[in-house]
Amino acid sequence: MKAIAAKDEAALALLYDRYRVILFGLLMRILNSREEAEDVLQEVFLQVWRKAGDFDEERGRPFTWLVTLGRSRGIDRLRTLSARERVVEAGAREASEDVSDAATDAFKSEQRGLITNALAQLPDDQKRPIMLAYFEGLSQSEIATRLGAPLGTVKTRMRTGLMKLRELLAGKAESFGF
Amino acid sequence: MVHDDYKEMIPARALSALDAAEERALNEHLDNCSECRRELAEWETTAAALAIAADPAEPSPRVREQILNEIRNDRSAAQVVPFRSASRNIWSSFGSLGAIAAVVVFVVLLIGLAVQWRQNRVVKDELARSQEFLQLVTTPGAKVMELRGTDLGADATAKLAYDKAGHAMLMADKLPTVPQGKAYQLWFIVGKNPPMPGKTFVPDKEGKGMLKDQVPATAIDSAIFAITMEPAQGVDAPTGPIYLRSSEIN
Repeated sequence: MKAIAAKDEAALALLYDRYRVILFGLLMRILNSREEAEDVLQEVFLQVWRKAGDFDEERGRPFTWLVTLGRSRGIDRLRTLSARERVVEAGAREASEDVSDAATDAFKSEQRGLITNALAQLPDDQKRPIMLAYFEGLSQSEIATRLGAPLGTVKTRMRTGLMKLRELLAGKAESFGF
Repeated sequence: MVHDDYKEMIPARALSALDAAEERALNEHLDNCSECRRELAEWETTAAALAIAADPAEPSPRVREQILNEIRNDRSAAQVVPFRSASRNIWSSFGSLGAIAAVVVFVVLLIGLAVQWRQNRVVKDELARSQEFLQLVTTPGAKVMELRGTDLGADATAKLAYDKAGHAMLMADKLPTVPQGKAYQLWFIVGKNPPMPGKTFVPDKEGKGMLKDQVPATAIDSAIFAITMEPAQGVDAPTGPIYLRSSEIN
């Protein structure tokens, strides 16, 4: 990040090469449109280029900053698109799963397995509020409405699920390259 | 609300799932509570892991090109320095300072110009190399690998860019100087096969070095790159210690 803040283009290219598959996968999941996801991906890296000096390494690793920024931009875009305007490309989902060999190499199934296994260990009623918040950007009130559950219950389940997830991932952050 | 109430809200804040009023209240508390800020950073790390639960996907190569083109435009715009005209005319001082002073000024100017010309040449060379490197990086399908210093070259760093055809360019910095008769040599390592030799280079006194080479076809997709110190003419198999090696990204 220091190199990017010092305007080292190659450092940004390296960051892009390292994280594009994860970030684009996240944006595809949020937006379900290659066109929108690619547009936001570009915005994210341009923001990284312009704001890398704001990165505070005491507040987390570059991965966390990048993903938090990417998700936030993705959710913002999602909110600005009406359901009608959303370009849901037929086959977008299939395209998103068509990962190149290089991308597969860069994304070891072992690492992905850690998070999917951890999520699989959460009861569905704890996992759903977390997934709705993370991938659809819904607030706790909106989740309560969507699930037809009391707000207090949603809050408790979300918190319990996240605490369990943190326990399951404890000590594994390094292996993610976070 | 008290501290513990805010603390309970932090996990949901890491998912940006708080309702607007709650988020505003928590944000105010965060401004004054370092403990909660630390805790939020921890929860954000947990939340970021969820990104990996999404199916990985490959964006079009066009996105990479567009990003790099855009930042190059940014840089060009930032580097445009307005040309300043001289604030006074040096020649006008001849009359007032007299012949001796004029000669001194003239000689000093000449020396200054010579130094500047030399510095400009170095800067121009470096700029040309950087542009060439950038051109390679922006080629569709190009890869950039970062090489990091081992214990022997702890401060050293290098970037190796190469395109799909294997045209490669290495730019190294802060390498230790090499003794007479020695040079750094690039190696391509694929799996457990013997390292394949690349070219040699000698860095300047600041430890900067540049090398153009051809990545062997078998190494384009999955190679580790290393730099050792070897006899200046290069060797077929590494004999010296490793100073730099590519990080195994994943």
